[in-house]
Amino acid sequence: MKQINAVLEGAGSMVMLLLRAGSYAGSLPRQWARFVEQCYLIGYTTLPIVTILSFFIGTVLALEAGYSMEGFGAKEFIGSLVGLSMARELGPMMTSVLLAGRVGSAITAELASMKVYHEVDALTTMNIPPAKILVLPRLAAVLVMMPVLIVFANIVGWFGGSVVARYVSSVGISSESYFAALRHYTKFKDVMNGMAKAEVFGFVVVLVCCNIGLNTRGGPREIGAAVTRAVVTSLILILILDYFVTKLLM
Amino acid sequence: MNSTQQTARVGLFFLLGIALVWVTFETLSDGKIFEPRSHTLIAGFDDLRQLKTGDEVRLAGVRVGSVQKTRLAGRHAEAVLEIDPKVPIAGDATATIAMSGLIGGNYVAIDMGTPGAPALADGAEIKTLTTPDLNTLMSDIGGLGKQLQESLGTFSAAINGDPKTGGGIIQKLEKILADNTARLNATMTNLQEITDKINRGDGTLGKLVNDPKLHDELLATVDEIKATATQAKEFVANAQSVMDQVKSGQGALGTLVYDPKAAADIKASIADLRSVSDKLAKGEGTLGKLINDDGLYDSAQVTIKKVDRTLDGLNDSGPITAVGIVANALF
Amino acid sequence: MSAETTEANCSKTRNPFTGVEADAVSVRVDGLSKKFGDLAVLRNISFDVKPGEIFVIMGPSGSGKSVLLRHIAGLEAPTSGTVAVDGLDPTLEETRDRVRLALVFQEGALFNSLSVYDNLALYPREHRSGNEMAISERVMHALKILSVEKSANQFPSELSGGMKKRVSIARALVMEPQLLLYDEPTSELDPVMGATISEIIATLKNEYSVTSIVVTHDRDLALTISNRVGILMAGKLISLGTPGELRKSQEPRIVDFLNPKIDIEHPRFKQLETPENP
Repeated sequence: MKQINAVLEGAGSMVMLLLRAGSYAGSLPRQWARFVEQCYLIGYTTLPIVTILSFFIGTVLALEAGYSMEGFGAKEFIGSLVGLSMARELGPMMTSVLLAGRVGSAITAELASMKVYHEVDALTTMNIPPAKILVLPRLAAVLVMMPVLIVFANIVGWFGGSVVARYVSSVGISSESYFAALRHYTKFKDVMNGMAKAEVFGFVVVLVCCNIGLNTRGGPREIGAAVTRAVVTSLILILILDYFVTKLLM
Repeated sequence: MNSTQQTARVGLFFLLGIALVWVTFETLSDGKIFEPRSHTLIAGFDDLRQLKTGDEVRLAGVRVGSVQKTRLAGRHAEAVLEIDPKVPIAGDATATIAMSGLIGGNYVAIDMGTPGAPALADGAEIKTLTTPDLNTLMSDIGGLGKQLQESLGTFSAAINGDPKTGGGIIQKLEKILADNTARLNATMTNLQEITDKINRGDGTLGKLVNDPKLHDELLATVDEIKATATQAKEFVANAQSVMDQVKSGQGALGTLVYDPKAAADIKASIADLRSVSDKLAKGEGTLGKLINDDGLYDSAQVTIKKVDRTLDGLNDSGPITAVGIVANALF
Repeated sequence: MSAETTEANCSKTRNPFTGVEADAVSVRVDGLSKKFGDLAVLRNISFDVKPGEIFVIMGPSGSGKSVLLRHIAGLEAPTSGTVAVDGLDPTLEETRDRVRLALVFQEGALFNSLSVYDNLALYPREHRSGNEMAISERVMHALKILSVEKSANQFPSELSGGMKKRVSIARALVMEPQLLLYDEPTSELDPVMGATISEIIATLKNEYSVTSIVVTHDRDLALTISNRVGILMAGKLISLGTPGELRKSQEPRIVDFLNPKIDIEHPRFKQLETPENP
């Protein structure tokens, strides 16, 4: 009962926070500097880990596809498998998971410490709503940066697959036929589909992490607990939303 | 780091991202947004089978478009084909549904048509041809064996005849020989005398026998008989190789294709055919002997012509060609 | 600075920077109770703070002083009872739009990611009061009042506790508040700086008619500059009066609180002794 209550409370405060942040959307142009700073943190600094991870996801996909498709002589379809799974599912999903781990945890830690050390209260008494200057720029930044991260993830992942397809002898198909299959079966629609997913995931991750950070109560010890809770909640929500968003976009 | 540098990095990163989105779009969609609305053609078929939206349209094997949608139009199905407007499709070109591989689905194949034919306009209907699909072919193979056996049976009956009535061509020839030995001997004697006369170079008959036109005619007849025998042999060899190919299929498809009953039927027919041709090969000597008997020669000629026609008929029969296509497509 | 004045002599708050006048605000607390779970922190507290008055809340640690201040600042909602600032509910954003209210937090609550200058400039920038030149003038003026102008480009993490407190007060001044709430303004400060703070509070009241509520256990500050003092013990307001009335009070708890004596023989000192062998 207590847990159910906590979940409902979390969901409710998240919606409230979203509405509050949304109501200040008009102030975004004046918060340009904060927006750019968040873009930098969410997009630019996350790129290296996203590219490394995507590259290896691509290689593993190609390797596994090569292994399993060899059985019925369909190795030419490795390209299409890597292309589609990267664009539609793994690119958006893994990037969002990284976002939760890298950016989400930082957001929660920052906001939780601001809350614990009364900085959030100070903002409130100064009549500067935390939703406006702490949440809105982050939500806007993630919406702008997510597609960029995804396109990097996709292209690096596809490239990783082609490297395995070409140079691993047990797979051994040419880059040309890999990319031909990829191009033939992967439509731009699929890439857009993945980006739409990533937008939803990224937005929810940032919203959840902001909300948990701002609702932290107690001493500095609570900051760590809040970060853990935020990352776990983000991951669970990504996976649950994944099903529904995929279904919706079909 | 100062904020100008930070802004510059974010800007660079963002622009790079947009550029990559554009590159992806161009690569995957061939930049369709800026292409003029492509040409559509309507292809009506009795049955679209596995054809679905997005399948390729190939002109002489080169991809020129895709299936935009499939729909029902009255009593038949229609596929709306989206064709690259730069590629003209001849007015008399024919569209067929073809298989691009066993699990690769179907595509619409369009042939070039005749060179001078005017191009089809946007939205026009293209001529279509229904080709048998794999499933139909598989079910036809059993019936095909039976058909083949029947036609070959008729052929062998014409030559061997029914053993009870003894009415076969070979039997008749032997009977004629046996019945007329005396007369033949007399004729041979007469012939000897005549040839003597010819050798001696006198009499009109000598000239008649030596007439080049008649000689040529005789040679042509012999050649025709030889050609017929070769044709029969070739057919047998073809049939054999088709069956070998079908039999050698080992995988899931091999079992699907391989129908032991049909194969046995076809084999039996081939054996019949071979014995006929063997007999034909042996019969050559007898026919040589009987070269002076005009009546016999004529009747033999007629029979051979009948054999010829039967063989032609067999060669032309569609199903065999279809089997060949299937066998070649599969293996 | 008369400690005996109970009535505010001015009903307009004058902006210390622009000189623009606004109505001085009053605070009314009526039957306020607050529970955190089962723990009753505040029990049925009622008092009025008149416009332009300096109201001091004293009490031992853990008596609920800070929580009371947070209620007035609108950071906590009462379990029962009401709090009204200028007749409005302080938890509502509309109230903050109408009444400029500043709270000086005990630990300063400076924004760690911003420099001292940006900490002060945040409010005027966000509320678009003046251009960057005017804001800079205001910020530096406020820093000078608290003698921390040299730290303008430092970050809060580089400051000592006392410096943080001063910057925090400067930040409150930049807001040009109508109602200024202080949570332990003189703790962590040396006596000279403590006196400066007392002076600032008194000046704001006398010159600009800013209503001030001060939570402190600094006896001198309470008895010299305040118009009225309330004593809070275990969540209850046990006394409310002018400093003169308070000094004359015979109530033992108040006498004890205002004049702590060190009595070596008192049983509470015994527990520190090492137990000898019986």
